[in-house]
This record gives sequence, C-alpha cells and structure tokens, in this order.
Amino acid sequence: MTKPSATGQPRPPGASVSPTPSLLTTFFDRPLPLYLSAALFRLIFLLYGLWQDANSPVKYTDIDYLVFTDAARFVSQGQSPMSERHTATPLSSPGSSSQPPTSGKVLFAIADLVAGWLLEKVLARSMDGPRARKFAAIWLLNPMVATISTRGSSEGLLGVLVMALLWAVLERRVTLAGLLLGFGVHFKIYPFIYAPAIIWWMDNERMNPNKTKPTKPPQSTSITTRIINFITPARIQLALISLATFSGLNIAMYLIYGPPFLQHTYLHHVTRIDHRHNFSPYNTQLYLSSSLPHVSSSSPPTFQIEKLAFLPQLLLSTILIPLVLAKKSLPTAMLAQTFAFVTFNKVCTSQYFLWYMVLLPLYLPQSNFLKNKRFGLAALVLWVVSQGLWLQQGFELEFLGKSTFLPGLWLASLGFFGVNCWILGVIIGDVGSQ
Amino acid sequence: MRERITFVQKEGDSIEPSALKVDGSGLSGPEVKAVREDRLTFALDELPAELKALLEGVNQLHIRWVSPIAYEAVSPLLARLPPGFHLFYTPGSDTSINPCPLLNKAFGTVSCSSPAESFTTLPTDRFTHSTTHQFYQPLDSLSAFTQFAKSQLCPPSSPRSCGTRLNSLTKASQLDISYDAISHTLRLTSLWPYGPQSLSATLLSPSIRTEVGIISTANPKTLEPHEIGISGLLTVLGQSTAPSPTLFSFPSRHRDAASSFTSKFLSPTGLHPTLQLSISSPSPPSKSPNPSTCRLHGYFTLPKTIFPDRHQLSDPLFLSSKNLSSVRYITPNIDLEAPEYVTPTWGSSLLLELSPPPSQGSQGSGDSKGEEWTAQIPLHLRYLSPSLTGYRTAEVPYPALFWACTAEEGTKFPTNPFEKDKVGYDGLFGERTVFWHLTPRPGDGTNGRLMNEVKVPVLDLTKADWVNALTGVVVALGFGWVVVKLLGVAFAGGGKKVDKQKKTQ
Repeated sequence: MTKPSATGQPRPPGASVSPTPSLLTTFFDRPLPLYLSAALFRLIFLLYGLWQDANSPVKYTDIDYLVFTDAARFVSQGQSPMSERHTATPLSSPGSSSQPPTSGKVLFAIADLVAGWLLEKVLARSMDGPRARKFAAIWLLNPMVATISTRGSSEGLLGVLVMALLWAVLERRVTLAGLLLGFGVHFKIYPFIYAPAIIWWMDNERMNPNKTKPTKPPQSTSITTRIINFITPARIQLALISLATFSGLNIAMYLIYGPPFLQHTYLHHVTRIDHRHNFSPYNTQLYLSSSLPHVSSSSPPTFQIEKLAFLPQLLLSTILIPLVLAKKSLPTAMLAQTFAFVTFNKVCTSQYFLWYMVLLPLYLPQSNFLKNKRFGLAALVLWVVSQGLWLQQGFELEFLGKSTFLPGLWLASLGFFGVNCWILGVIIGDVGSQ
Repeated sequence: MRERITFVQKEGDSIEPSALKVDGSGLSGPEVKAVREDRLTFALDELPAELKALLEGVNQLHIRWVSPIAYEAVSPLLARLPPGFHLFYTPGSDTSINPCPLLNKAFGTVSCSSPAESFTTLPTDRFTHSTTHQFYQPLDSLSAFTQFAKSQLCPPSSPRSCGTRLNSLTKASQLDISYDAISHTLRLTSLWPYGPQSLSATLLSPSIRTEVGIISTANPKTLEPHEIGISGLLTVLGQSTAPSPTLFSFPSRHRDAASSFTSKFLSPTGLHPTLQLSISSPSPPSKSPNPSTCRLHGYFTLPKTIFPDRHQLSDPLFLSSKNLSSVRYITPNIDLEAPEYVTPTWGSSLLLELSPPPSQGSQGSGDSKGEEWTAQIPLHLRYLSPSLTGYRTAEVPYPALFWACTAEEGTKFPTNPFEKDKVGYDGLFGERTVFWHLTPRPGDGTNGRLMNEVKVPVLDLTKADWVNALTGVVVALGFGWVVVKLLGVAFAGGGKKVDKQKKTQ
C-alpha cells in the first residue's frame, strides 16, 4: 500500500482533475494558497469580530464564549469552572487569565485549519493532492465553519479531534487512535459512537495486510471461532488505551473538582429537560411531557414517546450503521453515524451540524449528490428550505412572541427531520453502490 | 405588647390640640388627610405557639409587603420596594427550621417549599447588617393574611373591634413584619396610603402601652442637611389627658428625589422582552447636600418567570447603549435554561446602576417633560407550562429607583423611629448611603398597578392531542426508511438497483 506524503504531492493514484489549467486548478495545485486563504479568511472574521465587539452593542462573539472564558479564568485561578451554564469538562476551558479572551477563538480557528489539513491527508489516500484540497476546501473555506469558530464555539475542536482519530485509525496508529478516542469521549461524550465502527473496521486483514494468510477463512466457521477471530490484538489495544485515557481523565477531573464535575460534565445530560425550541423532532413532545405534571388540568400522562428516543438513535448510530457500513467505508460510516446521532437526538441545534460537516468532504467525492449535480442541488435546497421554515416559525416565537409551538414549529421540526432521514438514506445507499 | 399609631400629614399641615378629645380609653378627632401607620410590638411570649416556636429558631426574619396599587409616599415614610411579598431571612443555628409552611398558611399563595429550595442566598461578606437569604413573589393583597391574623389574634371572646381593625389591613399599602434574635421582639407595622383618615384610636387593653402621634415634616433652622424634622402632637393613651406638642429631628437614609418614572415592556416582547424605564429627570436630587456622589440605581426583584443574563449585562458598550452603567449586584447562579415549572428558587434580584444622559437644563430636578429619558433592561423569559390559549401572562413588579448618595464622612445614621430597613438594596450599600427615591407612576392601561405584564407564548394544549402519537409515527417512519436502506446495503444488490434506477431517471 502506498502512503501519499503528508502534503499529498506526488503521483496521484486515483482519479485526476481535468488537465486544462485554470485559476481554480492552480489555486489547488499547491497547499499554500488554500491554507493561506483559509487562515486569512478566519483572521478577517476574527478581526471583524473584535471590531464589532468593540464598537457595536450587538456582539459578534457568542454569549456562550463568555461563559467559556469565565470558566477558563476560574481554572487558571485554581478554582472550579462549574458555573450555571458551563456544561462540559473543565478541559474544554483553555487559556489563562493573562491571555486576552481572543486566545480561545484563535485556538478554535487553528483547530479548524488543522482539521482541514487532516481532512486533506485522509482524502489524499484515495486521490491526488489538488483534488483532495478541493474537497478539503469545503471545510476550510466554509463561511459557516469559520463563523462558528471565530464567534468562539468550541465545537470546532471536535472537528480536529474526530479527523485526527479517523486519520490515526486509517494509518493504523492504534495507540494514538485510542488516546484520541478516549480524550474525545471525555471532551464531548458523543464521539463514543465511533468506537464500534472503528473496532469493527479493525479486522486482522486490515491491520496486518501482509501477514494475512492467503487462505480465506472457510464459509462455515463456528460462532466461537468467529468470536476468537474477532478478538484481535489491535482491537484489544484500542479498547484498553481509549478506556484508560477516558477513565484517567475522569478520575483526574474528579480528584480536582469533586462531584460537581460529574454533575456538569455527564449527569447534566441525563437530568436536563431540553425543552427550549430546537430542531429536534422530539422538542415539542419534550416541552409537553416535562410540563404536564405541572399543569393541573391535564390528564395523567400515558406512555410518552420521548422515553424511547435513545433507542432509534443509538441503534442506528452505534450498531446498525457501523455493522453495515464501517467495513465498506469507514469515513462515510462515521459521517452516517454522526448524521443519525444528530438527526435522532433529543436536542439539535445548528452547532451540532458542525459535527458531521467535517466528515462531509470525505463522502462527497463518491456521492450521488455530486455525481448528479441537480439531485445534489435539490437535496441542498430541501435541507436549507426545511430549516428555513423552522427558523421562520422560531423567529415568530422568539422575537414576535407568537405561540407557534403548535402546529408550526412542531411540523417544521418533523419536516426537517424527514429531510434529514432522506439524506441519511441516500448517504447509506451510496456506500452500497460504491 | 406595645402599640404606636401615627398619622403623618404633609409638610405644613397640622391640627390644633384643642380639636382632639382624649379620654381614658382613647383619642378622637376630625378627619384629616394623612398616612396612617400602626405598629404593634410583641414580646416572644405574647405570640401564638406556632409562631413562637418558629421564631425561636430563627436569627432574622423580615417580611416586607408592598401593594401593587400606586401610593403617594409622605416624609418621613419614604422607603420604597418593588411591590409584592419580600422576605429577608437568616436562619438560626438549626438550619433545618422551615418557615415556609407557616408563610403559606399566613399569606395564602406564597409558593415557597423550604429555604434551601426556594430562597436565594445574599452576600454576607459586604456589610454585616444584611440577611443571608431572600425570597420574593408578587402578591396582590393581604386578604389571606387578614383572615389568618384574625384567627390568631382575635379569639371568639374578643370584641368586634378586633376583627374590624384587622379587616382594614386589606386596604393597607404596606406591611412590615420584623423579628430578630437580639431584640426577641416581633414588630408588625402596617401603613395606609395618604388619604382621608379619621383621627381615632382606642386602647386595646389597659395593659398595652399605646402611643398616638399626629405629625408632619418640619424644617427648623437647626436641621442638618441629612436630617428630617418632625413636629406634631403625641399622646400616650390612658396616661396623658391632653396631647403634648413635640419637635424633633433625626438623620434619615430614605428621602424623596422629587422626580418620577414609569416602566413598561417594549413590544414585541417575544421571549426576550426589554423593560423600559422612562425617567423624568437625569439630574440628581437638588436637595442632596452632595449631589456629585449620587448615582441612579434600579433595584429589581424578578420572579422566576423572567431573568437577567449577567454575561449579556457585562459589556460596557452594550450597557451604555441601554443607558445603563453597570451591574452592582445580581443573584448568583441563575439557571439560564430551566423552564419556570421546574425552577424551585423564587427568581432573582438585580441592582443596576443607570447612566443618565448629561442634563441640558438647569440643575433643578423638576418633572419637565423635555428632560425625560429612558433606560432599557434586557431580560429573558423562561418557558411556562402550557395553557388552553397558547399564552400565559407573567407579571414583573416595577423596580425601586433611587439615587444613592454618600453622606459626608462621619455622618451616622442611627435607627430612627420611622426607619424602614431590610429593604433588599440597603444591604448592598455602605452605612453612609442615603437613598433618594423616585416616585413610580403606573403606566397607561395598568389600572393604577405598579406591575408590568408580559404575554408569554406557551404550548397550546388544545392542539397538543396528536403530538405524542404523531411524533412517534414520524420518528418510526424515518427510522424505518434508514433501516430499509441499511438492509439494502447489507444484503447487497437491493440498494444498488434502487440507486441505479434513480440514476437513470
């Protein structure tokens, strides 16, 4: 197996782009123009944000960033960052009091660039450099991504973590993958869904391609041998290292911050009600069921559907999608898992879209959306329009004070859910037709 | 037990001693325009058993109730609080003692369950005189308390006047109940708004020392700038046979700024309503001896339906665009997500320093329309429980607005006979601060109430029948579609065919 160099310079093994030189192709010919413009792009956003924050009462910086930097200041002062709003591990609060609040945003912007670079490295495994950079540009030059990170959202850090994890796995760097997986789960829980896909993908043939005996295992292997075959050194290594990293970090945080750490980092997600309007199809139902015990006139609650919400979500994202897709295409499997996790989640805000957006460039080259441009455009329009409908209802509620919960906001969230399911289905189908 | 009845007339008003009839059982006279204040002081042993048992375990308990109906304040009774039921509380050594059951019983709809759950904690490191806990909720009337007081204080054998006097509490504009473990006395003070009052007081029992005063503000030449002068007639029922004239003065922390304000929500309110204060004058009180030390403040008690976000209120640029200067105090750890129906604490208090625009006119702080200015306070609504109309109403009391001015070094403010302390904001200022109050004026369409209403969109229960089922069906369909696609890929062929068909279309 030939490993393309980091910058993806020479000898493209895959399909090549059209040889006619244009400004666009020369732009992607070398890495410098892309990364320079991606960095410049973020620098402009960052400086503009600083200017707006300093000159306008309407702030560019996300209000959650203030919570975040507050928490960071507490950490640097040796205090606990657990405040009313900070619901994450203390490790997500970098920086120190001596640093200006911009340092966090710079970190997030750099994380964006590193994620893009790793994206290119992963892409370059199956295509030439310029083409890989072209797809990496979907992330690197994406205004939504740049805005979210320069406004100070830490979601961008997830992008670099997930991309590094995928790259480490594809490079068979099991120890590094284990460390990243354990850290990722500690950092933001949801990356645990990648564990089954990675484990399933890591079979002996993949991990030791040269050692594998030419004699393929016969069709009729007993269940016991299958299980024994499943337990490979690489799988054990990954499981042990990621578990050790995850528990090590948790124990350390617990020793430093005590029980509030558990409450804010993990238990919070169990006890929270998540009633405030968001894209999730469960949202209206959650508001309804959480409030029913407090409405005197209401009938005694019967069976409530959201109690089972975890079932379709986890079935798809941790079992079915990994089983069916991981061995066919690990990156697309991870994309589909994330997409399913976000779509079927009990809370869904636009920041969560970043979770799968980083994986999108890995799938698009083989996708029907790109092969059939009209189809792709239609899907994009559907996704944007169904989201727009929800946002319109949300605006009427949030800013005009109209009671749009029912039916408007509810139907809009179900519509958006439907569109997302359809897109997920197409992604899955595309893996099958590869 | 002691009683003090005071009729406070406006400055310049007075009554001739000869107009009053004093005999062994009481005092009577003509009808005058005045504020009436009744103060009853109980020793612990004189209280009903249940109340006594509670207070014995309490360090400080102060109830301040203010009617939502706008009233005119008369010097020296000038202290103001947002209308509603306020409680300032410091537990005794046994912190498990719970005043809530008795409060619920006494005031009717006070929704507190226990100090740990319902109260907020106050900073005690700043000034030692403040209590450790706070509770507030809007409360329109004292009718429940009147019934409770009658059941406690007027046994069936008592004269009819007992019930009649307590019934008049329903017309009171303020009620203060104060207990602290040092004095071991419970003081109950009620205040009736300025208006026609018949000058009459009867001795409840010969054993109760009852003092009646008819007073008004006076300005003797010897008066210091931080003092209020009082002149009038004092009578001790059963002891004196005629009222005796009196003249005295005392330093007072609460004064009248001689300006006013109204408060309203800007529309559309949405889920992030802005409360706008319209203030008649940007200038500090002209009567203040040291106006340069004065800063305009707003003290807000916000019920749990609505809350301020301290992060939003931390940016100087944002604040100044709203004519605000800084947050002086905000209840810590306000939950920014939880819906109202699962929020156990009463709400939050907020002390804001306002930033008046530079005054153009003369230094006088008259109500000239040209100088009126506004300040905006951005707030956020919690989700409220669903209703049958899709909307609910949240009520937010007017804030207390005052200029806080610092008296000169060495000025002492010993407790005066008309002192109203433990008003929430006084604990957040130093001992030498004087509060010059702005008069709250009810806005249009508020029926004379000092409450701002905001219409909150909630889930409409009449449309909610299908939510549970249809959400389930849609999720199941979405899930099913994805599973079918997965099966297509797993048992290769199916998925491919479908896709190829799609491609050829």
